[in-house]
Amino acid sequence: MSESGIGELASQLYDACLESYDTNHLFYQQDFLSLDIIPKNDPQLLLKCTQQLVDQKLLRLHQDKNERLAWKIISREDADKLQNLSADEGLVYNVIHSTARSGIWVRAIQTRTNLHKSILDRCLKSLEGKNYIKSVHNVKYPTRKMYMLAGLAPSEDITGGAWFTDGVLDANFINSVAGYIEYTVSRKSWFEVPADRGRTAKRIKTATGKADVKSEAAEKTYLPYPFNYEGYPTVQTITNAVNESGITPVRLGEESIVQLLQMLCFDKKLVELNLKNGTAYKSVKNPEAVKEKQSRKHPAEGEDPGPINEPGKSNGMTDSPCGPCPSFRLCSPGGAISPETCEYFDPWMEKNLAF
Amino acid sequence: MLSQYAAELCMLLIEDHFGELFARIFSILQRYERLTLPRLKFYSRLNDKQLRHALAAMIQHHLIYHFTSLEDGNTYYEANPQAAYYLVRSGKILQLVEERLGEYAARVMEAILYLGHASVKELEGRPELRSRKPMAPNGIKHEEEEPQENGMDMEDGPATTNGDHDGEDKPAPFHATLKALASHGYILRVRDAHFQSPADNFLEAQRAVAARSDIKALKGKKQEEAIREKAQELVQERTNGDLTQGLMFNGLPRGVKRKFSNGLANGQRQNRQNGVNGDHAEDEEEEEENEWSEDEDGFDNIPMESGLVVRVNYEKLDVALRNARFVDLAQQDAPSATAEVYACLLRRVEYITPRCRDSEEIPREKEEGEQFSTPISVQTLLEDIDPSLDLTGALGPMDPSQSMNRRGKRPLENGVDDHDDADDDEDEASSGAMRAYLVNQHLGLLSQPPFDLASSVTLSVGPSKWRVGFRGLARKLRHLELERMIESRFGDVALRVVRVLQAKGKLDEKRLQEISLLPFKDLRQTLASMQRGGFVDLQEVPKDAQRQPSKTIFLWYHDADRVCSSILEDTYKAMSRTLQRIKHERELERDFLEKTERSDVKGHEEEYLTEGELERLQRWKNKEALFLAAVARLDDMVAVFRDY
Repeated sequence: MSESGIGELASQLYDACLESYDTNHLFYQQDFLSLDIIPKNDPQLLLKCTQQLVDQKLLRLHQDKNERLAWKIISREDADKLQNLSADEGLVYNVIHSTARSGIWVRAIQTRTNLHKSILDRCLKSLEGKNYIKSVHNVKYPTRKMYMLAGLAPSEDITGGAWFTDGVLDANFINSVAGYIEYTVSRKSWFEVPADRGRTAKRIKTATGKADVKSEAAEKTYLPYPFNYEGYPTVQTITNAVNESGITPVRLGEESIVQLLQMLCFDKKLVELNLKNGTAYKSVKNPEAVKEKQSRKHPAEGEDPGPINEPGKSNGMTDSPCGPCPSFRLCSPGGAISPETCEYFDPWMEKNLAF
Repeated sequence: MLSQYAAELCMLLIEDHFGELFARIFSILQRYERLTLPRLKFYSRLNDKQLRHALAAMIQHHLIYHFTSLEDGNTYYEANPQAAYYLVRSGKILQLVEERLGEYAARVMEAILYLGHASVKELEGRPELRSRKPMAPNGIKHEEEEPQENGMDMEDGPATTNGDHDGEDKPAPFHATLKALASHGYILRVRDAHFQSPADNFLEAQRAVAARSDIKALKGKKQEEAIREKAQELVQERTNGDLTQGLMFNGLPRGVKRKFSNGLANGQRQNRQNGVNGDHAEDEEEEEENEWSEDEDGFDNIPMESGLVVRVNYEKLDVALRNARFVDLAQQDAPSATAEVYACLLRRVEYITPRCRDSEEIPREKEEGEQFSTPISVQTLLEDIDPSLDLTGALGPMDPSQSMNRRGKRPLENGVDDHDDADDDEDEASSGAMRAYLVNQHLGLLSQPPFDLASSVTLSVGPSKWRVGFRGLARKLRHLELERMIESRFGDVALRVVRVLQAKGKLDEKRLQEISLLPFKDLRQTLASMQRGGFVDLQEVPKDAQRQPSKTIFLWYHDADRVCSSILEDTYKAMSRTLQRIKHERELERDFLEKTERSDVKGHEEEYLTEGELERLQRWKNKEALFLAAVARLDDMVAVFRDY
């Protein structure tokens, strides 16, 4: 059969492949033959056709685990790109392509292509210039130079998940979402007593652990639910609430939210409950207390944090002058630093006697 | 052997309470450990008379153990650091006794503390215990403590005191009070073995056991084991000064006034032994009908055996103090009614818990098994809970939407009982079954995170009971203390990091960042400053033999045991520094204070001192109170790290 005949047959084969399979399909010899394009299912002829397609960069050669030969089709635009590349560039492009969304380290490209460093650099530069590939930042290895195809979004392993912006943890974003979650969960884990006549006074009394943290404007009382209450929010409901709230520019996945929920658990703001219908979360503080704490924290960012006056936040050591004393270890009676000459006791005494 | 700071602290405490002579002897005994009288005399450079007097008094206060060896006939003296340390806790103990059993009981306790140990006869003869002061008209009669927030006990107060209105010039109810203290386990009988150090007791018991013929018949390892086991039993028998046996009534100690009796109570009468006094077997029948302490001619007036020698039982008091800490935990985030129910549960648990833990040392974390209290049934609790306590109002409904529809019309009861099958009669709400259900609800709330303060056990027959897991809670208290320190020193970011490390074990920086979601810069700074403070540590895991830093994995971890023990030492040190400072301050004001303490001035300050001096005195008193309060708070931490 003539060269042009093979060329025609090859393009027929390519079109048929495009039509009947998706672009990620791995073609084996059988797949091609079953398309009924190669006359008499001649393997020799098929080999010639595929070879031509590979030359035209319309097919990419693969080898599966059993060392069987296989092919994947390449779209025509990509093939055009590839045709314009030099042999070395094509090699590099293929290696980068093979790692898809996880990207590849420059040194790994070098070992796989066996190209000289200067040639590799030139190839990368020209590919980047043509906007075929891009360099990406990996959170795990911030010093490594990595590349991936320009059209792909980096995977979560590389970016570190939703909480990273350009490889750096986005603390402000995390704090705002965490604050929102805490408040939302809190609203659902406390029962808000409807304000009705006559009973209010009594209610306040029953909830005295929290009565003092309430703001005076809104006389709301919150009661805990009974222990077998099942209505605490789950990961799913929290994720939906966050995505609907509009505080995030992108949709957050459940995994990212779980990460954040666990962080909140470590902060002892939420607790994890194992209910019959799966894991749910409950807030430790009631909505009023949460709101107050958050509003207090933000303006105080630059200022001196001041003494912690909340109950349960201080103990003998934090309140004694010795607790925060920087020279505590050196202190001994009669020494250069001694209880008799200590300069922390007097201010401490003044402060505490002022009450 | 005590650490440097603990020894220093004990010395200071003794000096503060008993003066320099005792402190000198005590510190010498601490430095040289066991000493015979001649050696002690040599080291202390005291004359015979001083030394003998001091030793006798210190033995009276249990500050010194003594042991006369049968082999060489020498008597050895040894310091008792526990007793010395407990001096600092006496204020707390008195406060607790006053809360539980009234002002007069606290005075009795104070006298016992003051004397170290004393016989009943001796105590009875003390002038300060002869009469109940007018300021304490109802002495031992003490209702179950109501939380101050609860306004509902208003009508309760007068009702319970009127039994005593006519009795103001009566003799003090000394024996009844002593019995109340004994049945609570707050005091114990002094045994000979109490004067010897635990090690001596054990060795002596071992010798005694080894001499027994049945033990001699055994051989090798078996014999060793048998000796150890039997010796422990013997020590226990010899040191057991328990006075509660035979003084308990239906599992309740004397002096506790029951709110209302329940027919069921008689069914669960505990197996009682006739203990120390042997004279109350006949009184028990009588007592079942009457509520103790309102009964004028009943049990109270039968005196306790006058030869009985009693001392304070610190172990039991630690249990009571620890329970008070648990109630504090409950109060932090739970409604007050829930905390009160919990307090009742803990009170019941206290009666049957002789000590905080069985092992000498606190076991290492994660190697420590849970130790549960005896389960208490809801029925028993119901007897203790104040019937006027509003149990319904403190919990939300099962279904928020439903109660919103019926708002204004008792939404809460409705919400609660539509879960139960008792919703047909609303009147049931305050009756037994309903209340039992509600108590279960309250305790159920506490059994859940974030509290985890109680847990329920369901037996194959009968309703579920509630119990308390002591070891887990003691651990929680320890961690809370650590967390407070970490937060105040390094901020809440550090707190999060430590909790992550606590939960996950050893982590490298990257993993730590992923979990804690902190920027690298903050994380590194926090970790570095915490490492400097000794709260976290770094472990190197080299990948090759060269140990190159670039090929080494660095893992951060938080070893709570290590941190706890170092904080404990710091706490001892802070306590002694505070005591030293107060000594120094006193020295500065000495001339003035000596004047106020002159026998003619003391008690007549208003007459003899000028206005300026009175003010100065007041300022000094405030200052001293502040320092002592600081020491007391540090003692709370010591209790958590060492005793609970």
